[in-house]
Amino acid sequence: MWWVITVVAVVVLVATYLTWLAARVDRLHARAVAAYATLDAHLLRRAVVAVSLAEAAQLPTLVYAARIAVDAQPEDREVAENDLTRHLRDAHEDAAVPEPELSGLVQVSRRVALARQVHNDVVRDALAVRRRLLVRLFRLARKHPRPAYFDVDDPSLS
Amino acid sequence: MRIGIVCPYSFDVPGGVQNHVRDLAETLIALGHHVSVLAPGDEESGEQPYVVPAGRAVPVPYNGSVARVSFGLISATRVRRWMAAGRFDVLHVHEPLIPSLSMLAVLSARGPVVATFHTAMTRSRALAAAQGLLQLVLEKITGRIAVSELARKVQVEHLGGSAWEIPNGVQVSRYRTAVPLPGWPGPGGTLGFLGRFTEPRKGFPFLLQAFATLARSRPDLRLLVAGPGDVDEVMADFPDISPYRDRIVFLGKVSEEDKARMLRSVDLYIAPNTGGESFGMILTEAMSAGTTVVASDLDAFRRVLDGGRAGALFPVGDSAALASTIGGLLDDPTRRAALAARATEVVAAYDWPVVAERVLEVYSTVIEVAGAVVEQPVP
Repeated sequence: MWWVITVVAVVVLVATYLTWLAARVDRLHARAVAAYATLDAHLLRRAVVAVSLAEAAQLPTLVYAARIAVDAQPEDREVAENDLTRHLRDAHEDAAVPEPELSGLVQVSRRVALARQVHNDVVRDALAVRRRLLVRLFRLARKHPRPAYFDVDDPSLS
Repeated sequence: MRIGIVCPYSFDVPGGVQNHVRDLAETLIALGHHVSVLAPGDEESGEQPYVVPAGRAVPVPYNGSVARVSFGLISATRVRRWMAAGRFDVLHVHEPLIPSLSMLAVLSARGPVVATFHTAMTRSRALAAAQGLLQLVLEKITGRIAVSELARKVQVEHLGGSAWEIPNGVQVSRYRTAVPLPGWPGPGGTLGFLGRFTEPRKGFPFLLQAFATLARSRPDLRLLVAGPGDVDEVMADFPDISPYRDRIVFLGKVSEEDKARMLRSVDLYIAPNTGGESFGMILTEAMSAGTTVVASDLDAFRRVLDGGRAGALFPVGDSAALASTIGGLLDDPTRRAALAARATEVVAAYDWPVVAERVLEVYSTVIEVAGAVVEQPVP
Protein backbone atom coordinates (compact mmCIF):
# COMPACT_ATOMS: atom_id res chain seq x y z
CA MET A 1 0.00 0.00 0.00
CA TRP A 2 2.69 2.52 1.05
CA TRP A 3 4.78 1.97 -2.01
CA VAL A 4 1.81 2.91 -4.20
CA ILE A 5 1.48 6.21 -2.37
CA THR A 6 5.22 6.82 -2.62
CA VAL A 7 5.27 6.11 -6.35
CA VAL A 8 2.25 8.35 -6.96
CA ALA A 9 3.84 11.15 -4.92
CA VAL A 10 7.13 10.90 -6.83
CA VAL A 11 5.35 10.88 -10.19
CA VAL A 12 3.30 13.95 -9.22
CA LEU A 13 6.43 15.80 -8.06
CA VAL A 14 8.41 14.99 -11.20
CA ALA A 15 5.46 15.91 -13.44
CA THR A 16 5.03 19.25 -11.63
CA TYR A 17 8.73 20.04 -11.96
CA LEU A 18 8.75 19.13 -15.65
CA THR A 19 5.69 21.28 -16.33
CA TRP A 20 7.34 24.20 -14.57
CA LEU A 21 10.60 23.61 -16.45
CA ALA A 22 8.76 23.42 -19.79
CA ALA A 23 7.03 26.74 -19.06
CA ARG A 24 10.41 28.25 -18.18
CA VAL A 25 11.91 27.00 -21.45
CA ASP A 26 8.99 28.47 -23.40
CA ARG A 27 9.20 31.78 -21.58
CA LEU A 28 12.94 32.20 -22.18
CA HIS A 29 12.63 31.36 -25.87
CA ALA A 30 9.67 33.69 -26.34
CA ARG A 31 11.70 36.47 -24.74
CA ALA A 32 14.70 35.78 -26.99
CA VAL A 33 12.42 36.11 -30.04
CA ALA A 34 10.96 39.34 -28.64
CA ALA A 35 14.42 40.74 -27.95
CA TYR A 36 15.40 40.06 -31.56
CA ALA A 37 12.30 41.92 -32.75
CA THR A 38 13.32 44.89 -30.59
CA LEU A 39 16.89 44.80 -31.86
CA ASP A 40 15.59 44.58 -35.44
CA ALA A 41 13.43 47.68 -34.88
CA HIS A 42 16.38 49.68 -33.53
CA LEU A 43 18.63 48.57 -36.41
CA LEU A 44 15.98 49.78 -38.85
CA ARG A 45 15.71 53.11 -37.04
CA ARG A 46 19.48 53.46 -37.28
CA ALA A 47 19.37 52.76 -41.03
CA VAL A 48 16.69 55.43 -41.50
CA VAL A 49 18.75 57.99 -39.55
CA ALA A 50 21.81 56.99 -41.59
CA VAL A 51 20.02 57.60 -44.89
CA SER A 52 18.69 61.02 -43.88
CA LEU A 53 22.11 62.01 -42.55
CA ALA A 54 23.79 60.75 -45.72
CA GLU A 55 21.46 62.84 -47.85
CA ALA A 56 22.03 65.95 -45.71
CA ALA A 57 25.82 65.56 -45.81
CA GLN A 58 26.03 64.12 -49.36
CA LEU A 59 27.66 60.82 -48.48
CA PRO A 60 26.54 58.35 -51.19
CA THR A 61 28.51 55.38 -49.82
CA LEU A 62 26.65 55.71 -46.52
CA VAL A 63 23.31 55.46 -48.36
CA TYR A 64 24.47 52.20 -50.00
CA ALA A 65 25.73 50.79 -46.69
CA ALA A 66 22.40 51.54 -45.02
CA ARG A 67 20.44 50.00 -47.89
CA ILE A 68 22.58 46.85 -47.87
CA ALA A 69 22.07 46.51 -44.10
CA VAL A 70 18.29 46.80 -44.44
CA ASP A 71 18.09 44.32 -47.35
CA ALA A 72 20.57 41.79 -45.91
CA GLN A 73 19.55 38.16 -45.51
CA PRO A 74 19.68 36.96 -41.88
CA GLU A 75 22.99 35.12 -42.43
CA ASP A 76 24.66 38.24 -43.91
CA ARG A 77 23.14 40.72 -41.53
CA GLU A 78 25.91 40.91 -38.93
CA VAL A 79 28.52 41.70 -41.59
CA ALA A 80 26.27 44.32 -43.21
CA GLU A 81 25.50 46.00 -39.89
CA ASN A 82 29.20 46.07 -38.99
CA ASP A 83 29.88 47.73 -42.31
CA LEU A 84 27.20 50.33 -41.60
CA THR A 85 28.72 50.95 -38.14
CA ARG A 86 32.09 51.64 -39.78
CA HIS A 87 30.55 54.12 -42.22
CA LEU A 88 28.66 55.83 -39.41
CA ARG A 89 31.87 56.10 -37.42
CA ASP A 90 33.51 57.90 -40.35
CA ALA A 91 30.49 60.17 -40.70
CA HIS A 92 30.66 60.91 -36.98
CA GLU A 93 34.26 62.10 -37.42
CA ASP A 94 33.31 64.05 -40.55
CA ALA A 95 33.20 67.80 -39.92
CA ALA A 96 30.70 68.30 -42.75
CA VAL A 97 27.88 66.54 -40.90
CA PRO A 98 25.59 69.08 -39.17
CA GLU A 99 25.24 68.97 -35.36
CA PRO A 100 21.55 68.04 -34.87
CA GLU A 101 21.93 65.00 -37.18
CA LEU A 102 25.07 64.03 -35.28
CA SER A 103 23.45 63.91 -31.84
CA GLY A 104 20.50 61.97 -33.26
CA LEU A 105 22.98 59.50 -34.71
CA VAL A 106 24.77 59.06 -31.38
CA GLN A 107 21.46 58.41 -29.62
CA VAL A 108 20.11 55.92 -32.15
CA SER A 109 23.46 54.07 -32.12
CA ARG A 110 23.38 53.85 -28.34
CA ARG A 111 19.88 52.37 -28.51
CA VAL A 112 21.16 49.75 -30.97
CA ALA A 113 24.01 48.91 -28.58
CA LEU A 114 21.58 48.61 -25.68
CA ALA A 115 19.15 46.42 -27.64
CA ARG A 116 22.04 44.19 -28.70
CA GLN A 117 23.18 43.88 -25.08
CA VAL A 118 19.67 42.94 -23.88
CA HIS A 119 19.25 40.51 -26.79
CA ASN A 120 22.52 38.72 -26.12
CA ASP A 121 21.73 38.49 -22.39
CA VAL A 122 18.36 36.83 -22.95
CA VAL A 123 19.84 34.54 -25.62
CA ARG A 124 22.47 33.47 -23.07
CA ASP A 125 19.68 32.59 -20.59
CA ALA A 126 17.79 30.58 -23.24
CA LEU A 127 20.93 28.69 -24.29
CA ALA A 128 21.73 27.93 -20.63
CA VAL A 129 18.32 26.36 -20.03
CA ARG A 130 18.67 24.30 -23.24
CA ARG A 131 21.84 22.75 -21.81
CA ARG A 132 20.07 21.37 -18.72
CA LEU A 133 19.97 17.57 -18.53
CA LEU A 134 16.20 17.23 -18.09
CA VAL A 135 15.52 19.70 -20.88
CA ARG A 136 17.64 17.62 -23.26
CA LEU A 137 16.30 14.28 -21.95
CA PHE A 138 12.65 15.24 -22.43
CA ARG A 139 13.41 17.44 -25.45
CA LEU A 140 11.50 20.33 -23.88
CA ALA A 141 13.03 22.83 -26.31
CA ARG A 142 12.20 20.87 -29.48
CA LYS A 143 9.53 23.27 -30.75
CA HIS A 144 11.84 26.30 -30.45
CA PRO A 145 14.62 27.06 -32.93
CA ARG A 146 17.97 27.52 -31.23
CA PRO A 147 18.47 31.26 -30.53
CA ALA A 148 21.76 32.80 -31.66
CA TYR A 149 23.82 35.71 -30.38
CA PHE A 150 23.86 38.82 -32.56
CA ASP A 151 27.60 39.03 -32.94
CA VAL A 152 28.60 42.54 -34.08
CA ASP A 153 31.19 45.14 -33.10
CA ASP A 154 30.13 47.69 -30.50
CA PRO A 155 27.78 49.97 -32.48
CA SER A 156 27.90 52.87 -30.03
CA LEU A 157 29.53 56.16 -31.04
CA SER A 158 30.75 58.57 -28.42
CA MET B 1 5.57 56.00 -17.05
CA ARG B 2 4.66 54.12 -13.84
CA ILE B 3 7.90 52.96 -12.25
CA GLY B 4 8.33 50.69 -9.21
CA ILE B 5 11.76 50.81 -7.59
CA VAL B 6 12.94 48.38 -4.90
CA CYS B 7 15.77 49.38 -2.55
CA PRO B 8 17.16 46.49 -0.49
CA TYR B 9 18.51 48.68 2.34
CA SER B 10 16.58 50.76 4.83
CA PHE B 11 16.54 54.54 4.35
CA ASP B 12 17.03 54.89 8.13
CA VAL B 13 20.76 54.34 7.60
CA PRO B 14 22.65 56.41 5.03
CA GLY B 15 24.46 54.56 2.26
CA GLY B 16 25.52 54.72 -1.35
CA VAL B 17 22.68 52.56 -2.70
CA GLN B 18 20.04 54.46 -0.71
CA ASN B 19 21.36 57.82 -1.95
CA HIS B 20 21.38 56.51 -5.52
CA VAL B 21 17.78 55.28 -5.26
CA ARG B 22 16.60 58.53 -3.65
CA ASP B 23 18.25 60.74 -6.28
CA LEU B 24 17.04 58.54 -9.14
CA ALA B 25 13.46 58.52 -7.80
CA GLU B 26 13.42 62.29 -7.27
CA THR B 27 14.88 62.97 -10.72
CA LEU B 28 12.33 60.68 -12.41
CA ILE B 29 9.49 62.35 -10.48
CA ALA B 30 10.80 65.76 -11.60
CA LEU B 31 10.74 64.48 -15.20
CA GLY B 32 7.02 63.76 -14.74
CA HIS B 33 6.98 60.02 -14.05
CA HIS B 34 5.04 58.21 -11.37
CA VAL B 35 7.53 56.57 -8.99
CA SER B 36 7.02 54.35 -5.94
CA VAL B 37 10.00 53.08 -3.94
CA LEU B 38 9.68 49.98 -1.75
CA ALA B 39 12.28 49.79 1.03
CA PRO B 40 12.67 48.12 4.42
CA GLY B 41 11.39 50.23 7.28
CA ASP B 42 8.64 50.54 9.85
CA GLU B 43 6.85 53.74 9.13
CA GLU B 44 6.30 56.23 6.37
CA SER B 45 8.52 59.29 6.47
CA GLY B 46 7.29 62.74 5.57
CA GLU B 47 10.56 63.55 3.86
CA GLN B 48 10.23 60.92 1.12
CA PRO B 49 6.51 60.54 0.38
CA TYR B 50 7.25 58.20 -2.54
CA VAL B 51 8.81 55.55 -0.22
CA VAL B 52 6.59 52.64 0.82
CA PRO B 53 7.88 50.87 3.97
CA ALA B 54 7.98 47.08 3.72
CA GLY B 55 8.45 46.21 7.39
CA ARG B 56 11.28 45.88 9.84
CA ALA B 57 14.81 45.40 8.56
CA VAL B 58 17.14 42.90 10.18
CA PRO B 59 20.92 43.38 10.27
CA VAL B 60 22.72 40.76 8.17
CA PRO B 61 26.49 40.59 7.84
CA TYR B 62 27.30 40.79 4.16
CA ASN B 63 30.41 41.40 2.05
CA GLY B 64 32.45 42.70 4.96
CA SER B 65 29.84 45.02 6.44
CA VAL B 66 26.42 44.92 8.02
CA ALA B 67 23.41 45.39 5.78
CA ARG B 68 19.88 45.94 7.03
CA VAL B 69 17.58 43.93 4.82
CA SER B 70 14.11 42.40 4.87
CA PHE B 71 13.59 38.84 3.72
CA GLY B 72 10.87 36.37 4.61
CA LEU B 73 7.26 35.37 4.14
CA ILE B 74 5.76 38.61 5.48
CA SER B 75 8.07 40.69 3.29
CA ALA B 76 7.17 38.52 0.29
CA THR B 77 3.48 39.20 0.86
CA ARG B 78 4.11 42.95 1.15
CA VAL B 79 6.17 42.94 -2.04
CA ARG B 80 3.38 41.21 -3.96
CA ARG B 81 0.74 43.55 -2.55
CA TRP B 82 2.83 46.62 -3.49
CA MET B 83 3.35 45.34 -7.03
CA ALA B 84 -0.35 44.52 -7.47
CA ALA B 85 -1.40 47.97 -6.23
CA GLY B 86 1.26 49.82 -8.22
CA ARG B 87 0.42 48.45 -11.73
CA PHE B 88 3.94 49.41 -12.82
CA ASP B 89 5.08 49.60 -16.42
CA VAL B 90 8.53 48.61 -15.28
CA LEU B 91 10.07 47.22 -12.10
CA HIS B 92 13.57 48.46 -11.25
CA VAL B 93 15.36 46.56 -8.48
CA HIS B 94 18.73 47.36 -6.93
CA GLU B 95 21.26 44.70 -5.86
CA PRO B 96 18.94 41.74 -6.55
CA LEU B 97 21.56 39.06 -5.87
CA ILE B 98 21.56 39.42 -2.09
CA PRO B 99 18.64 37.91 -0.13
CA SER B 100 16.49 41.01 0.13
CA LEU B 101 13.28 42.72 -0.92
CA SER B 102 14.85 43.12 -4.36
CA MET B 103 15.30 39.39 -4.80
CA LEU B 104 11.75 38.72 -3.57
CA ALA B 105 10.40 41.30 -5.99
CA VAL B 106 12.24 39.78 -8.94
CA LEU B 107 11.10 36.26 -8.08
CA SER B 108 7.44 37.23 -7.92
CA ALA B 109 7.52 39.67 -10.86
CA ARG B 110 6.03 39.10 -14.29
CA GLY B 111 6.82 41.57 -17.01
CA PRO B 112 9.64 44.04 -17.63
CA VAL B 113 12.30 43.98 -14.91
CA VAL B 114 15.46 46.12 -14.78
CA ALA B 115 18.20 45.60 -12.20
CA THR B 116 21.14 47.77 -11.16
CA PHE B 117 24.27 46.13 -9.76
CA HIS B 118 26.22 48.44 -7.48
CA THR B 119 28.91 46.52 -5.65
CA ALA B 120 31.81 44.71 -7.09
CA MET B 121 31.03 41.49 -5.20
CA THR B 122 33.83 39.07 -4.62
CA ARG B 123 33.12 35.52 -5.64
CA SER B 124 32.13 33.71 -2.48
CA ARG B 125 31.27 30.13 -1.60
CA ALA B 126 27.74 31.24 -0.78
CA LEU B 127 27.43 32.76 -4.24
CA ALA B 128 28.66 29.58 -5.91
CA ALA B 129 26.33 27.37 -3.83
CA ALA B 130 23.33 29.50 -4.72
CA GLN B 131 24.14 29.55 -8.46
CA GLY B 132 20.87 27.77 -9.32
CA LEU B 133 18.76 30.27 -7.41
CA LEU B 134 20.74 33.23 -8.74
CA GLN B 135 20.22 31.98 -12.30
CA LEU B 136 16.45 31.98 -11.63
CA VAL B 137 16.70 35.57 -10.41
CA LEU B 138 18.89 36.69 -13.33
CA GLU B 139 16.58 35.04 -15.85
CA LYS B 140 13.73 37.29 -14.82
CA ILE B 141 15.81 40.43 -15.33
CA THR B 142 15.73 41.71 -18.89
CA GLY B 143 17.71 44.93 -18.43
CA ARG B 144 20.93 44.70 -16.42
CA ILE B 145 22.74 47.89 -15.43
CA ALA B 146 26.14 48.21 -13.74
CA VAL B 147 27.22 51.52 -12.18
CA SER B 148 30.90 51.01 -12.90
CA GLU B 149 33.29 49.12 -15.11
CA LEU B 150 34.28 47.02 -12.07
CA ALA B 151 30.68 46.07 -11.22
CA ARG B 152 30.22 45.18 -14.90
CA LYS B 153 33.31 42.95 -14.88
CA VAL B 154 31.89 41.04 -11.89
CA GLN B 155 28.78 40.36 -13.93
CA VAL B 156 30.83 39.06 -16.83
CA GLU B 157 33.34 36.99 -14.91
CA HIS B 158 31.39 35.59 -11.97
CA LEU B 159 27.84 35.34 -13.16
CA GLY B 160 28.35 34.60 -16.84
CA GLY B 161 26.23 37.57 -17.85
CA SER B 162 26.98 41.11 -18.87
CA ALA B 163 25.60 44.52 -18.07
CA TRP B 164 24.95 47.94 -19.57
CA GLU B 165 27.13 50.55 -17.94
CA ILE B 166 25.44 53.70 -16.65
CA PRO B 167 27.54 55.71 -14.19
CA ASN B 168 26.38 56.81 -10.78
CA GLY B 169 24.63 60.17 -11.01
CA VAL B 170 25.43 63.32 -9.06
CA GLN B 171 23.15 66.27 -8.27
CA VAL B 172 25.44 68.86 -9.83
CA SER B 173 23.33 71.88 -8.86
CA ARG B 174 23.27 70.86 -5.17
CA TYR B 175 27.07 71.10 -5.07
CA ARG B 176 27.43 74.07 -7.39
CA THR B 177 25.16 76.26 -5.26
CA ALA B 178 26.41 75.16 -1.81
CA VAL B 179 27.72 77.98 0.40
CA PRO B 180 31.29 77.51 1.74
CA LEU B 181 31.65 77.01 5.50
CA PRO B 182 32.33 80.31 7.31
CA GLY B 183 36.02 81.23 7.32
CA TRP B 184 37.03 78.85 4.51
CA PRO B 185 38.99 78.42 2.30
CA GLY B 186 41.08 81.33 3.64
CA PRO B 187 43.95 83.19 1.97
CA GLY B 188 46.74 80.64 2.41
CA GLY B 189 45.11 77.82 0.50
CA THR B 190 43.12 74.83 1.76
CA LEU B 191 43.31 71.14 0.94
CA GLY B 192 40.30 68.87 1.45
CA PHE B 193 39.77 65.19 2.18
CA LEU B 194 36.53 63.32 2.80
CA GLY B 195 36.07 59.71 3.89
CA ARG B 196 37.00 57.12 6.51
CA PHE B 197 40.56 58.33 7.04
CA THR B 198 41.50 55.31 9.17
CA GLU B 199 40.78 52.91 6.29
CA PRO B 200 44.13 52.06 4.62
CA ARG B 201 42.67 51.99 1.07
CA LYS B 202 41.68 55.66 1.37
CA GLY B 203 45.40 56.55 1.54
CA PHE B 204 45.01 59.37 4.07
CA PRO B 205 48.57 58.91 5.47
CA PHE B 206 50.01 59.89 2.05
CA LEU B 207 48.11 63.15 2.22
CA LEU B 208 49.34 63.78 5.79
CA GLN B 209 52.91 63.14 4.68
CA ALA B 210 52.54 65.54 1.75
CA PHE B 211 50.89 68.11 4.00
CA ALA B 212 53.81 67.94 6.47
CA THR B 213 56.22 68.66 3.57
CA LEU B 214 54.16 71.56 2.22
CA ALA B 215 53.26 73.09 5.61
CA ARG B 216 56.93 73.75 6.37
CA SER B 217 57.25 76.32 3.57
CA ARG B 218 53.61 77.53 3.48
CA PRO B 219 52.66 78.97 6.84
CA ASP B 220 48.98 79.55 6.02
CA LEU B 221 48.17 76.28 4.25
CA ARG B 222 45.34 74.37 5.97
CA LEU B 223 43.77 70.93 5.67
CA LEU B 224 40.04 70.29 6.10
CA VAL B 225 39.00 66.69 6.75
CA ALA B 226 35.48 65.26 6.95
CA GLY B 227 34.50 61.71 7.77
CA PRO B 228 34.22 59.29 10.67
CA GLY B 229 37.29 57.93 12.47
CA ASP B 230 39.52 58.23 15.53
CA VAL B 231 41.61 61.39 15.04
CA ASP B 232 44.14 60.70 17.82
CA GLU B 233 44.81 57.22 16.49
CA VAL B 234 45.69 58.45 13.00
CA MET B 235 47.74 61.40 14.29
CA ALA B 236 49.76 59.21 16.70
CA ASP B 237 51.33 57.46 13.69
CA PHE B 238 52.64 60.79 12.39
CA PRO B 239 54.98 62.58 14.80
CA ASP B 240 56.17 64.82 11.88
CA ILE B 241 52.78 66.42 11.71
CA SER B 242 52.50 67.56 15.37
CA PRO B 243 53.87 71.11 14.76
CA TYR B 244 51.14 71.67 12.17
CA ARG B 245 48.34 69.90 14.06
CA ASP B 246 46.41 73.17 14.65
CA ARG B 247 46.21 73.71 10.86
CA ILE B 248 44.31 70.46 10.34
CA VAL B 249 40.58 70.67 11.07
CA PHE B 250 38.53 67.50 11.49
CA LEU B 251 34.79 67.98 10.99
CA GLY B 252 33.84 64.39 11.87
CA LYS B 253 30.91 62.73 10.14
CA VAL B 254 29.01 65.31 8.08
CA SER B 255 25.47 65.52 6.68
CA GLU B 256 24.83 65.54 2.92
CA GLU B 257 24.39 69.31 3.04
CA ASP B 258 27.62 69.92 4.95
CA LYS B 259 29.45 67.56 2.60
CA ALA B 260 28.53 69.85 -0.31
CA ARG B 261 29.53 72.93 1.70
CA MET B 262 32.82 71.28 2.72
CA LEU B 263 33.69 70.55 -0.91
CA ARG B 264 33.06 74.22 -1.76
CA SER B 265 35.31 75.28 1.14
CA VAL B 266 38.59 73.93 -0.25
CA ASP B 267 40.93 74.99 -3.05
CA LEU B 268 42.03 71.47 -3.89
CA TYR B 269 40.27 68.18 -3.20
CA ILE B 270 42.74 65.34 -2.66
CA ALA B 271 41.87 61.66 -3.33
CA PRO B 272 45.01 59.68 -2.37
CA ASN B 273 43.25 56.26 -2.56
CA THR B 274 45.44 53.22 -3.10
CA GLY B 275 42.74 51.03 -4.65
CA GLY B 276 39.37 49.42 -4.10
CA GLU B 277 37.52 52.37 -5.55
CA SER B 278 35.14 51.16 -8.25
CA PHE B 279 33.84 54.48 -9.45
CA GLY B 280 34.98 57.54 -7.51
CA MET B 281 31.69 59.15 -6.58
CA ILE B 282 33.50 61.69 -4.39
CA LEU B 283 35.42 62.95 -7.42
CA THR B 284 32.26 63.75 -9.39
CA GLU B 285 30.93 65.50 -6.29
CA ALA B 286 34.06 67.64 -5.90
CA MET B 287 34.01 68.35 -9.64
CA SER B 288 30.36 69.45 -9.35
CA ALA B 289 31.35 71.83 -6.56
CA GLY B 290 33.83 73.43 -8.98
CA THR B 291 36.80 72.34 -6.87
CA THR B 292 39.99 71.22 -8.58
CA VAL B 293 40.75 67.55 -7.92
CA VAL B 294 44.12 65.88 -7.30
CA ALA B 295 43.77 62.09 -7.38
CA SER B 296 45.78 58.86 -7.43
CA ASP B 297 46.35 57.51 -10.91
CA LEU B 298 43.84 54.63 -10.53
CA ASP B 299 41.91 53.34 -13.57
CA ALA B 300 38.57 54.46 -12.16
CA PHE B 301 39.87 57.93 -11.30
CA ARG B 302 41.65 58.39 -14.62
CA ARG B 303 38.39 57.63 -16.43
CA VAL B 304 36.38 60.15 -14.43
CA LEU B 305 39.12 62.80 -14.70
CA ASP B 306 39.28 62.48 -18.51
CA GLY B 307 42.84 61.13 -18.44
CA GLY B 308 44.12 64.01 -16.32
CA ARG B 309 42.53 66.89 -18.26
CA ALA B 310 39.77 67.40 -15.67
CA GLY B 311 41.98 66.99 -12.60
CA ALA B 312 45.61 66.31 -11.73
CA LEU B 313 46.83 62.72 -11.30
CA PHE B 314 49.82 61.53 -9.29
CA PRO B 315 51.42 58.05 -8.97
CA VAL B 316 49.56 55.86 -6.44
CA GLY B 317 51.12 55.97 -2.95
CA ASP B 318 53.83 58.52 -3.81
CA SER B 319 53.53 61.29 -1.21
CA ALA B 320 56.51 63.26 -2.59
CA ALA B 321 54.86 63.43 -6.01
CA LEU B 322 51.59 64.37 -4.32
CA ALA B 323 53.30 67.22 -2.46
CA SER B 324 54.89 68.62 -5.63
CA THR B 325 51.61 68.30 -7.58
CA ILE B 326 49.73 70.17 -4.87
CA GLY B 327 52.48 72.81 -4.58
CA GLY B 328 52.48 73.38 -8.34
CA LEU B 329 48.71 73.82 -8.44
CA LEU B 330 48.61 76.15 -5.42
CA ASP B 331 51.10 78.43 -7.20
CA ASP B 332 49.30 78.27 -10.55
CA PRO B 333 45.68 79.50 -10.25
CA THR B 334 45.35 79.59 -14.05
CA ARG B 335 46.05 75.87 -14.41
CA ARG B 336 43.75 75.14 -11.46
CA ALA B 337 40.93 77.08 -13.10
CA ALA B 338 41.54 75.31 -16.43
CA LEU B 339 41.26 71.88 -14.77
CA ALA B 340 38.10 72.94 -12.93
CA ALA B 341 36.59 74.29 -16.16
CA ARG B 342 37.19 70.99 -17.98
CA ALA B 343 35.82 69.16 -14.90
CA THR B 344 32.60 71.15 -15.17
CA GLU B 345 32.20 70.01 -18.79
CA VAL B 346 32.99 66.38 -17.92
CA VAL B 347 30.72 66.19 -14.88
CA ALA B 348 27.70 67.36 -16.92
CA ALA B 349 27.52 63.79 -18.25
CA TYR B 350 27.11 62.54 -14.67
CA ASP B 351 24.35 64.98 -13.76
CA TRP B 352 21.24 63.09 -12.58
CA PRO B 353 18.85 64.38 -15.28
CA VAL B 354 21.29 63.09 -17.94
CA VAL B 355 21.87 59.78 -16.14
CA ALA B 356 18.12 59.31 -15.56
CA GLU B 357 17.51 59.70 -19.32
CA ARG B 358 19.95 56.84 -19.90
CA VAL B 359 18.07 54.73 -17.34
CA LEU B 360 14.77 55.59 -19.09
CA GLU B 361 16.26 54.25 -22.34
CA VAL B 362 16.79 50.91 -20.59
CA TYR B 363 13.19 50.99 -19.34
CA SER B 364 11.95 51.61 -22.89
CA THR B 365 14.00 48.75 -24.28
CA VAL B 366 12.77 46.19 -21.74
CA ILE B 367 9.19 47.37 -22.21
CA GLU B 368 9.60 46.91 -25.97
CA VAL B 369 10.92 43.38 -25.37
CA ALA B 370 8.08 42.53 -22.98
CA GLY B 371 5.50 44.11 -25.28
CA ALA B 372 6.59 41.93 -28.15
CA VAL B 373 5.92 38.76 -26.12
CA VAL B 374 2.58 37.16 -26.79
CA GLU B 375 1.34 36.38 -23.28
CA GLN B 376 0.10 32.83 -23.27
CA PRO B 377 -3.16 32.36 -21.34
CA VAL B 378 -2.69 30.37 -18.15
CA PRO B 379 -4.48 27.01 -18.60
